This record gives sequence, C-alpha cells and structure tokens, in this order.
Amino acid sequence: MRVSRWLAGAALGLSVALSSAAGAATPTRVKVSGEIIDTWCYITEIMYALGTAHHQCAVWCASGGIPVSIRGDDGKVYVVLKIEDDTTNVRNDRILRIQSHQVTVEGDLYERDGVNYLLISAVADDKGVVNLTHEEYGIQPFGN
Amino acid sequence: MKSLVKFVGALALLLPFAAQAAEEWGIEHEKTARFEAKVVDILCELTGDCPADCGGGKRQLGLLRDDGRLILPTKNFDIFAGAANDLQPFCNKKIIADGLMIENPKMPLFTLQFKKLAPDGKWHRANWFIRDWAKANNVKRDSDTAEQWYYNDKKIAETIKRDGVYGIPGLKPPKE
Repeated sequence: MRVSRWLAGAALGLSVALSSAAGAATPTRVKVSGEIIDTWCYITEIMYALGTAHHQCAVWCASGGIPVSIRGDDGKVYVVLKIEDDTTNVRNDRILRIQSHQVTVEGDLYERDGVNYLLISAVADDKGVVNLTHEEYGIQPFGN
Repeated sequence: MKSLVKFVGALALLLPFAAQAAEEWGIEHEKTARFEAKVVDILCELTGDCPADCGGGKRQLGLLRDDGRLILPTKNFDIFAGAANDLQPFCNKKIIADGLMIENPKMPLFTLQFKKLAPDGKWHRANWFIRDWAKANNVKRDSDTAEQWYYNDKKIAETIKRDGVYGIPGLKPPKE
C-alpha cells in the first residue's frame, strides 16, 4: 500500500516536472524578412490573402483581434506577440499601420506546439506595401 | 408507444447539446474538437511577463491543456474577429472549448465556436466581439451597424482613408 502511494506520488512529481519543463520556453534570436499578414485568412486559404488584394481584409481582421503574423521569405509563419516595448498584441495600432508591409525585423522566437511566436525587438526595415496582387486578385473578399 | 416516448425524450436531451456543438466550415485540415483547457495569456506563458487579468483584453489568449499543449485560438464565431473577447472573462480559469481544430502543416489553429466554464458552466456562443463592439459604439447588438462592424469601425475607417484599400496611399481601385 505504502509502495503504491509512493509510486503515485513519484508519478505526480514527474508529471509536474515534465509539465513545467514543457512550459519553460527558451527563445532563439532571429532576423526575419517577410510580409505582415492576417494569420487566419492566410493559413486557412479561405481567400487569397497576400499583398494589396487582401490589405483591406487584413486591416479588418487585425482590428477584430485576429493574431497578426509575418509570412517569412523562408515560407514560415511567425505570430507577432510583441513589437519593441509594446506588449499589446490584440488590435495593436502600430501593427495595424504596417499591415501588408514588407519588413525585416529582429527578435526572439519561441517555438511551441507547432506555432512560431515572435517577439520583435526592432523593425530594421519597412519597405511599405510592395506585393502588388490586386491586378490579378482584385479586392478580397468582396471586390470593389 | 413507450419506445416512441423514450426516443422523443432522448432527442429532447440531445438537441440542446447538438445546437452547442461546433459546425464544420469546410476548411482544409479542420476537425471538430471539444476539450478542457486553461485560458492563459500566451506572452505570459512563454516569457513569464504576466500582467494582472491576462492583459485586460490587450493580449492574445491561449488554451493550455493538461497535457501541456498550448493551443492558439485564432478566430471566434463573428465575422473578421478573433477570440480574445470571448476568452478574457475566463482568464486563468478552465473552460470547455468547442470549435474547429485546424491542423494545417504551416501551423495549427483553433476556431472557437462555443465555450463554457469547466466543468458545468453555461454554454455561450463565441460571438462576444460584436457584442462588445456594439456596446462600445452604442448600437444594438443585432443592428446592421454592428453586424457589419468592419464597415463602421472608426479606426478602420481612418486607416483605409489614410492608406487606401490597397495599403498604398493614392492607389485607388478602378471605377466600375
């Protein structure tokens, strides 16, 4: 009986330790170049979701609190959780102003359960909106 | 007759449950999912930067399951809206989340359609963004103004007026 209690206690302790280890994330320092995007429309592909064609919708979604990401030139998607000292990541005014822009940023990357979370420490370059997709795709999703 | 009564009784029990179950949206990789998880401030969970009240609505909230998996809710049931408003009242509490798990190889997402306080809370549709937007803008929740909030939001209007629909000042769509 005592042995089984001890085993149960040990198992619980191990479980807590593993859980804490899983929660303790270590960031990687990265430099990412890519386009600021709306995460939902891009990942789900419910519509064409890059560049000028999707800019208005991307502003709507960012204003609605949908997470904003950078679609990296490396093809990966980085969810933006922080921009410099600003930890607001729901309806962030600054991110709203650079929606669809081509940027290069530096920051800390946390990889957790298949998601790349990016804490931007500096925006090194901002070329504005350069991905001219509207001639091919019009205005997504409702047209002009 | 007795079996018919039993059938109708069972149906009556099942219908409210069915009405609160996630609906499929036809998105690639989607699966309906219902699970228990703690509502957490994602930035806090990752970095230990933990303001009171999970950031008071300014931060994306995640769903942390008992197995340690952190799930990113990206969408709620309102058009063009995320799940932060739906989850904020449950900060650091366990809920039952119901929706669509989208295990896209690019990254996994979760769409929240219903939620309730675990284990026995009342089910709520995940549509509190428009509810809160309507209240903040002093219009009725079921008004056209609220339903099409994205055409009526002042900040959006200022952004589109400044940068245009393409995000490039001065570049305008052709007149139809």
